Amino acid sequence: MEFVFETNGLTKCFDTVTALDSVDLRVRRPTIVGLLGKNGSGKTTLIQHLMGLQLPGEGSVTTLGRPSSELGHDELIHIGYVPQEIRLLDWMTVEQHLHYVSCFYPAWDREREQRLLDELELDVSRSVGALSTGNLQKLAIILAVCHHPRLLVLDEPVSDLDPIVRAKLLEFLLELLREDEATILVSSHVLRDVEKIVDWVICLDDGHVVTDAALDELKELYSEWRVVSINGDLPERFSEPFVISQEISGREACLLIKEGAAEIDAFRNAHGVDVTGRPLNLEEMFPVLVDTRSS
Amino acid sequence: MILLVDPHSGIPVYRQIVEQIRFGVASGLLEPGEEIPSTRALSAKLGVNPMTVSKAFGLLEEDGVLERRPGRPHVVRERRSGSIRATRLEQLERALRPVVTKTRQLDLEPDTAVQMFRRLLEDEKR
Repeated sequence: MEFVFETNGLTKCFDTVTALDSVDLRVRRPTIVGLLGKNGSGKTTLIQHLMGLQLPGEGSVTTLGRPSSELGHDELIHIGYVPQEIRLLDWMTVEQHLHYVSCFYPAWDREREQRLLDELELDVSRSVGALSTGNLQKLAIILAVCHHPRLLVLDEPVSDLDPIVRAKLLEFLLELLREDEATILVSSHVLRDVEKIVDWVICLDDGHVVTDAALDELKELYSEWRVVSINGDLPERFSEPFVISQEISGREACLLIKEGAAEIDAFRNAHGVDVTGRPLNLEEMFPVLVDTRSS
Repeated sequence: MILLVDPHSGIPVYRQIVEQIRFGVASGLLEPGEEIPSTRALSAKLGVNPMTVSKAFGLLEEDGVLERRPGRPHVVRERRSGSIRATRLEQLERALRPVVTKTRQLDLEPDTAVQMFRRLLEDEKR
């Protein structure tokens, strides 16, 4: 199997809305991929296609080497999935639910189950229907990882968890990558969490893939320059192609730079200015990433 | 040696690791022959992706700072004393660059700045 998942020209329309437009993605090796995008950008629709819960309008989707619409026993025992809207069997207790789901998976790991229940402080005697949103999320995550999945897909998994549990969960995802060599796809709005663990970023905007790159590469691509003129006013506008946005006020300017880090000395000399460069973190980069298509 | 990384800084984490280990070696905090934690151990300790750690180790190997040993953790490579001094000077130069920029922005004479640097160095000694 060459790719963990792959989409080719994946397009999906709902009535008049194009939710996904010619999406081409390939994820090969064990890695943690962050799936980012504003609300309604197509993240959940993409995930549902990977899980075989939606059929492509056009194009194709392959998950663990099989068209996702034909996923069967051999693939499903290697997939873990936590959907955004968690639907479990309300009338069972946590313990009963765990036992019920474990029966479907030959590789169910009781030890991992117990350790996660302890670490995430989930009471097994509680009834599933009475769990808070956060506790329901914890249970859904435990249900999705105890069979040592090769592909784990988490759609907004941390939104209702408190910071301590979130940190434990992130640590555990890294452990899955190290121990099980799992590929993990996580969609989240909490960019600070994502930034800590992902090494690859896919960013959707309006159904299009606008970014598909290593996080480190992105961090090296974008920076912010504070410019101060040494003598006299700055020009009205900087016309260098690597300046993607600018705010100039008298002798000072703040520039957003793409692919220009190597030009800093030349820029300094050309304009007779002092420049202090600072790389952008994911949170600061995000608005730029989703804005590249419109500008 | 204790490594601290900030995943929310715009500086890629692998580069933060590279810089800190380079500094550790230059300052003598890490001695030649000393064992560096394994990729797995360091990734678990820092809570970062193992790929990030192995990328950092790869670069440090290329630079001749670390030595790879099959199936065992990296060690700090033996270095000639000349190259240690060169690394130290390089580190200092990098730290001083922003100070040079500030000096210029404040429109202070180089002599004044150098005097201040000398005075601060002497204060430290006492």
